[in-house]
Amino acid sequence: MAKEIRQIAIYGKGGIGKSTTTQNLTAGLVERGNKVMVVGCDPKADSTRLLLGGLAQRTVLDTLRENGEDIDLEDILKEGYGGTRCVESGGPEPGVGCAGRGIITSIGLLERLGAYTDDLDYVFYDVLGDVVCGGFAMPIREGKAKEIYIVASGEMMALYAANNISKGIARYAKQGGVRLGGIICNSRNVDRERELVAAFAKELGTQLIHFVPRDNEVQRAEIHKKTVIDHKPDAKQADEYRELARKIEENTQFVIPKPLTQERLEEILLEYGLLDALEDNYNI
Amino acid sequence: MAKKINLEMTSVENREMRLGTIIAWDGAASELVKESDYDSRKDKKRGIISDKTEKKGCCGNGSKACRLCELNTPLNQQTMCANAIVECQIGNLTDCILIQHSPIGCAADNAWFNLAFKMGLTRRHKPIQNLKIFCTNLLEKDMVFGASDKLRQAIRDAKERFAPKAIFISMACATAIIGEDIDSIADEMEPEVGVPVIPLHCEGFRSKHWSTGFDISQHGVAQKIVNRNPKKQKDLINIVALWGTDYFTDILKPLGLRVNYMIDCANYAELEQASEAVATSTFCHTLGSYMATVLEQHFGVPQIDAPQPYGFAGTDAWLRAIAKIVGKEEETEAYIKSEHERVLPKIQELREKFKGVKGFIMTGSAYAHGLISVLRELGIEVDGSVVFHHDPVYDGAAENQNSLKHLVDNYGDIPHYTVSKTQAYQLPQVFRRVKTDFVIIRHQGLAPEAAKLGIPALAMGDEHIPVGYDGMIRTGEALLDILARKRFNQVLQRHVELPYTKWWQSQDDPFILSKEPEVIEKALGLDKKKLKKGA
Repeated sequence: MAKEIRQIAIYGKGGIGKSTTTQNLTAGLVERGNKVMVVGCDPKADSTRLLLGGLAQRTVLDTLRENGEDIDLEDILKEGYGGTRCVESGGPEPGVGCAGRGIITSIGLLERLGAYTDDLDYVFYDVLGDVVCGGFAMPIREGKAKEIYIVASGEMMALYAANNISKGIARYAKQGGVRLGGIICNSRNVDRERELVAAFAKELGTQLIHFVPRDNEVQRAEIHKKTVIDHKPDAKQADEYRELARKIEENTQFVIPKPLTQERLEEILLEYGLLDALEDNYNI
Repeated sequence: MAKKINLEMTSVENREMRLGTIIAWDGAASELVKESDYDSRKDKKRGIISDKTEKKGCCGNGSKACRLCELNTPLNQQTMCANAIVECQIGNLTDCILIQHSPIGCAADNAWFNLAFKMGLTRRHKPIQNLKIFCTNLLEKDMVFGASDKLRQAIRDAKERFAPKAIFISMACATAIIGEDIDSIADEMEPEVGVPVIPLHCEGFRSKHWSTGFDISQHGVAQKIVNRNPKKQKDLINIVALWGTDYFTDILKPLGLRVNYMIDCANYAELEQASEAVATSTFCHTLGSYMATVLEQHFGVPQIDAPQPYGFAGTDAWLRAIAKIVGKEEETEAYIKSEHERVLPKIQELREKFKGVKGFIMTGSAYAHGLISVLRELGIEVDGSVVFHHDPVYDGAAENQNSLKHLVDNYGDIPHYTVSKTQAYQLPQVFRRVKTDFVIIRHQGLAPEAAKLGIPALAMGDEHIPVGYDGMIRTGEALLDILARKRFNQVLQRHVELPYTKWWQSQDDPFILSKEPEVIEKALGLDKKKLKKGA
């Protein structure tokens, strides 16, 4: 029997760095000898830019719109960094149509066209910030992604979003096999960020799988339309992504998250995040 | 490599993608045979790729896949969608339940389907009962908050009240858009209710033609009901049918075969035993090809590689193909001979009566090919016909299933062969172009349309009437009755005012809106001026 493809969905607040993290992580996994497919599920269609060296990809939905039903896999699947297969679902213009249905349509099309081949080790779904409707939950339905990682930072809204996403995961986990694999902290240089996110993760019943420090190397690589590993393989940040890749590859901790109440979430934030810096504390 | 139908997936690739199905085309049947290029498509389906098949783009549109030229109409009238087809397929099982997960409007045609179901049960000598269809009746807040709990409740209620053998869930446009996860709910509920719970992805926008609904229904049955550990029944043959009278039993008895009809009017056990049969066939490839192919590919039940059983040529070839599978070639030759002798005098008689009579068919695609052969056997001239869609190839990709080519080769060309859905607005043009003494119709709403144009219409609800040798006689006799109504229809025509503008009625080409879309603007412009004058 063919080995099972590890299908992973990456969620997190909009702008938190899901696409950047996913692609850099993908580069790390590719270095470790894995065959990876990245499916961008964001109407902005920018989930594969660093792997493809630019927004070179025609989206599934644009292709569907222009070619009608006459589509081959090669029309929508482009090969990027290290043989990575890249797909962008795409979506309607802002304010029209239904982006959620777009995800259902394009993942359905990928399946029918046979994109999920046995030689794949990983499939990543890079999903829009919030699971606003049934369509955005498509990647975590039965038979799709069983693992989820949430990208967060020490900022309140990022944790708030992560908690909300956990509610969705808990709901789906009751019916099926989807589990939370951990929180990836994409650092924003907030005070005591590592402790805060670790505490939050622990409270959820999961782990802070890796703390990715803030490093301008990421932005530099992005300007060059590359992942850090591709752009500057000897950079310290490249090692961070390699480490993240290793941890994900070796991860065995998959849980049904226990979402926090609003009160508890705020308590934790108070405890770690919003505590004044020591030097400002006039009691001491 | 040949592409097999994937039973692992709950959703079915629509016909446009699988077969290259079109819904609008106009020309000679022989032209469509040529453009369809059945043989290349058949090879491609079987995984035989030649230079010819690879580079082909029939429409000259540079597309990689071989795509037929299709007319685009700016106006679409349609009486059905894939969801409705699932209603009249799965809803017509006697001991299973269909839950339409939809707003109540999708259930509007239950009343009509209930009538058809009861008639079907009568014809098959089964106890009369009502349709077994529920609807989750979704409202605004279900659309916003999701409706999965309502569906779970409906499944529990269905189980409790009717103890069905299986529960099917059909997806509607509304539930597909909000992403109701009927697959997971089916998996989750199955252990609780203890019978198969089968999701069907038949939302109306999935395909431009309703016939994808047949495939979806058959897919669900094959996925979850058909027996995976079959004990062969050597005298059983599957006939994929609708609700027609059981003529197949008489036709196949001399070959020592019993008929297992599916899906309409069948019960769970009958569907289950489909894998135990020696072969599968159908009265219409449009309907039956998907099921026959699934049973062949996944359950080792061969499909009959033959023309459909209509007229002498079709029925002869069909019987011979079955005889080969059951090893009764000799007996069958004798049977064919005696049947010809038996029916020929009566058919000769009918041919006399139909001298100079012209006929017209307006039905589903492959079925029309069969019906036209029957009319031509009866000596009736057929200068034109309308089929509701065209499949350039069928799932079976068999050598001898090119039903349109079989028709043209054996019975001659049809000069005005029109592919068009149930578009009543085109009928004034269609019937001005081709004179006919009657029209045979199967789909609701079209018979009165033809009647209003002064044309007697035979509404053939029982689709098995024209099947086999006796089918020619049955059809002929029904037509004699219909022709007797000619005067009535002429009177009716005089008293009916069509709802179309004078401008539209004066047009000659039913597809003028597709070929010259600017005429609409012009026509509207004229109307505006008239309005101003009037004011």
